[in-house]
Amino acid sequence: MTGMAETPSTEPDATTSAPARRRRTAASPAAVPTAVAPTAAGQSPEAAAAPGFVDRGGAWCVVGAGPHGLSALKALLQNGIEADGFERESDVGGNWNFGAENSRVYESTHLISSKPFTQFPDFPMPDSYPDYPSHRQVKEYFGRYADHFGLRDRIRFSHDVIRAAPVDDGHAWDVTSLDLVTGAETTYRYAGLVVANGHNWSPKIPAYPGLETFRGEVLHSADYKGADVLRGKRVLVVGAGNTGCDVAVESAQHAAHTWHSTRRGYYYNPKYALGRPSDQVADRLLALRIPLGIRRALFGATLKATVGDLTRYGLKRPDHKFFETHPIVNQQLVYYVGHGDITPVDDVDHVDETGVVLTDGTRVDVDLLVLCTGYLVRFPFLEPEWLNWRDDHPHLFLQMFTPSYDNLVVSGLIQPDSGQWTLAHWQGVLVARVAEALRVRPAQARALLARSAAEADRRYSAGADYKDSTRHYYEVAHQDYLRALQDAIRALEVSP
Amino acid sequence: MSPKPLRRKTVAMRPWDWSFPSPPVAHREVLSARPTGPTARPPLLMVHGVAHGAWCFEEHWVPTAAERGWPAYAVSLRGHGGSGGARHLRRTLTRDYVHDVLQAITELPEPPVLIGHSLGALVAQLVAERYPLRGLVLLTPAPMHSALGALAAIARDRPTDFLGAVVGRTLSMEPDILFEGLDAATAREYSDRTGTESPFVQWELLLRRRVGPVRCPVLVVGVPGDRLVRPADVRRTAAAYGVEPVWFPGMGHDVMLDTGWDRVLDTVLEFAADLPAWGSAPLR
Ligand SMILES: Cc1cc2nc3c(=O)[nH]c(=O)nc-3n(C[C@H](O)[C@H](O)[C@H](O)COP(=O)(O)OP(=O)(O)OC[C@H]3O[C@@H](n4cnc5c(N)ncnc54)[C@H](O)[C@@H]3O)c2cc1C
Ligand SMILES: NC(=O)c1ccc[n+]([C@@H]2O[C@H](COP(=O)([O-])OP(=O)(O)OC[C@H]3O[C@@H](n4cnc5c(N)ncnc54)[C@H](OP(=O)(O)O)[C@@H]3O)[C@@H](O)[C@H]2O)c1
Repeated sequence: MTGMAETPSTEPDATTSAPARRRRTAASPAAVPTAVAPTAAGQSPEAAAAPGFVDRGGAWCVVGAGPHGLSALKALLQNGIEADGFERESDVGGNWNFGAENSRVYESTHLISSKPFTQFPDFPMPDSYPDYPSHRQVKEYFGRYADHFGLRDRIRFSHDVIRAAPVDDGHAWDVTSLDLVTGAETTYRYAGLVVANGHNWSPKIPAYPGLETFRGEVLHSADYKGADVLRGKRVLVVGAGNTGCDVAVESAQHAAHTWHSTRRGYYYNPKYALGRPSDQVADRLLALRIPLGIRRALFGATLKATVGDLTRYGLKRPDHKFFETHPIVNQQLVYYVGHGDITPVDDVDHVDETGVVLTDGTRVDVDLLVLCTGYLVRFPFLEPEWLNWRDDHPHLFLQMFTPSYDNLVVSGLIQPDSGQWTLAHWQGVLVARVAEALRVRPAQARALLARSAAEADRRYSAGADYKDSTRHYYEVAHQDYLRALQDAIRALEVSP
Repeated sequence: MSPKPLRRKTVAMRPWDWSFPSPPVAHREVLSARPTGPTARPPLLMVHGVAHGAWCFEEHWVPTAAERGWPAYAVSLRGHGGSGGARHLRRTLTRDYVHDVLQAITELPEPPVLIGHSLGALVAQLVAERYPLRGLVLLTPAPMHSALGALAAIARDRPTDFLGAVVGRTLSMEPDILFEGLDAATAREYSDRTGTESPFVQWELLLRRRVGPVRCPVLVVGVPGDRLVRPADVRRTAAAYGVEPVWFPGMGHDVMLDTGWDRVLDTVLEFAADLPAWGSAPLR
């Protein structure tokens, strides 16, 4: 495995992760009746407990009601384990709750992964949805999932978890939440804690020299909600993750001109190949257990046959092999480059008052800089060392379990090369099996969790060597990773 | 014969489902009746068998269950009853039916008790492996452990029917095969309402499928004189879930239509009324 930390010298991202913004604090008028009474989820006689503290006994806590929080909550309840959810927003959906504080989708976002692997396997998306649903449909889907499994009653909405700490020698967790409607702070005691607060919300902002002197506008993609901000401007988009490519395309459609700055060359995968959504084609090859080398050759051949030599368009030659960077799925970027609406350019060296100077020495005068440089993982309510934190990220067994505590689990710390919610589902199942085993067969649970220390650095890359970049800390090859989850689930299954 | 053990192992890897997803159907028929007042009962979802349609449950069970306070639904699998997909029936697979039932389930307000009849019971078991049902009811279920024995019996009793099935014709749905107690006219009328079945789905009945880790309670209903599903197969299905079948002597294969359908429904509703609340599965 290559060293996971980016060397600070090679890039100017001794990054400033913007402080977690708390738009709404305890400011709302106190008299507003609580939409969700604090007792809504609990069967415990909260009224009788001391004010501000509730012991929820053997129940588990799930922070976040995005897809990972929902599936964990559902799996726990389904397996007879009492559980409460906490969600800062007033609705479920997480990232797909457009406009919410932690949502990072923009007006035009559609899935880049097609339905079959993206959806929850036990709650498929409706047949009426297209291959690549829009963010609105996705949010509606999560809403229906929550309704169907009766999860809404179990979630304390508009509750921001501000602190969590182990008590009783790690046998329980005290979770303190702030009711954003009433401003009340309450601490709840749980037998276990599932953290599903998302990993795509805390913006990674490169520390370019001179950035503060720039007189134009600087926007991180975290605050990019739609094309209006681009209209008529000279725009430089930095980064070629899926966000950067989407924004560059939208900019090509709306801005005066677009420059797209990347620090390396990439492969731009089409959404459709051979008449099918391309991830389904990729899954066929994986189902047939075609080795990595041959898959690379086949993908290369497909791209060669469609877009051909990228350098002809002025794009950089990829400095890596297929599957070594998180896949870009974007059919339009190369198209707009070919039409001259996007000028691909080099990495940014520094910024001055009127524009940027690139590493190759050219300068570009622009009105707007859109930094699509991704996100960093943050857990503002936990101590990093509880999560085996090194080199600015956690090191967890199966990217879920910490060597420090059996009853602290992270769900959602994965970035698959495909859809995510099949994995969210099985992570949820594993959480429930662990919680169940900790209660009734602790030895069996411990036997599995004992691997946490030794396997904290294990990667599930199906043989690929990911490029050294903060965004690849959590990258997984989806089938490789799911197989590992399946093994862990089976290890906790009782033989008949 | 000693029953084969359950496949308790969870299956997360389903690469063929991801790479060859079932094609959607334009229209799915779901017939339903709801109780007039409010109800705390979970929904019942009924799945028909070979060449039938939701109509077979619509006849008695759906309205009667609703009268007794149960939200009742019956779905027509693709190519059957009022659902679309008839044109593609010849290349329809069992997995497409599983897809159809899952789609129907996600449209329900909460997890249902799934009631499958015959082939529909096989589909229901495949659904139960993927989805957390409240309860599972198998009526004269097609065996998961292969219908080879049943086919041999058909070959002996009705050689032409057997040969037809081998070349992909739909198994005979003549009145005497489906019913014991009905008057001839009614039996004929129902028999005439049956349609065709996908040849692949019929052939797939010969496959030996292992029973998945089903965590919900299961009820198995059989009729001793069944001319399609052998009682031995019903016993073996029940044993796979660790339960005893409930027998209804004197009835034919179509227990939701034949004389005595009300007694079978009583048993099903009794089972459904006793189910633990979803989310309170016993810890094992
Ligand atoms: C632009 C974009 C497009 C994407 N497209 C795809 C795609 O096509 N396919 C795909 O599979 N994945 C896609 N993803 C990945 C996506 O992030 C995940 O699929 C998924 O949304 C992650 O779910 P999650 O539950 O882990 O986190 P989130 O969806 O981020 O949910 C976390 C939830 O926790 C809540 N929360 C956080 N902190 C607290 C706190 N302290 N107290 C209370 N509540 C809190 C938040 O409000 C939020 O609701 C995309 C991501 C982005 C950014
Ligand atoms: N459904 C959709 O349409 C959709 C849309 C957007 C995003 N997403 C998903 O959301 C997640 C986040 O995507 P994202 O695009 O926002 O972020 P991302 O994948 O982390 O991409 C960040 C990009 O910025 C570059 N970068 C990072 N730091 C840099 C620096 N200091 N200087 C120069 N360049 C730098 C990265 O280059 P390196 O190659 O060196 O890392 C990469 O090209 C991904 O999982 C993505 O698939 C999906």
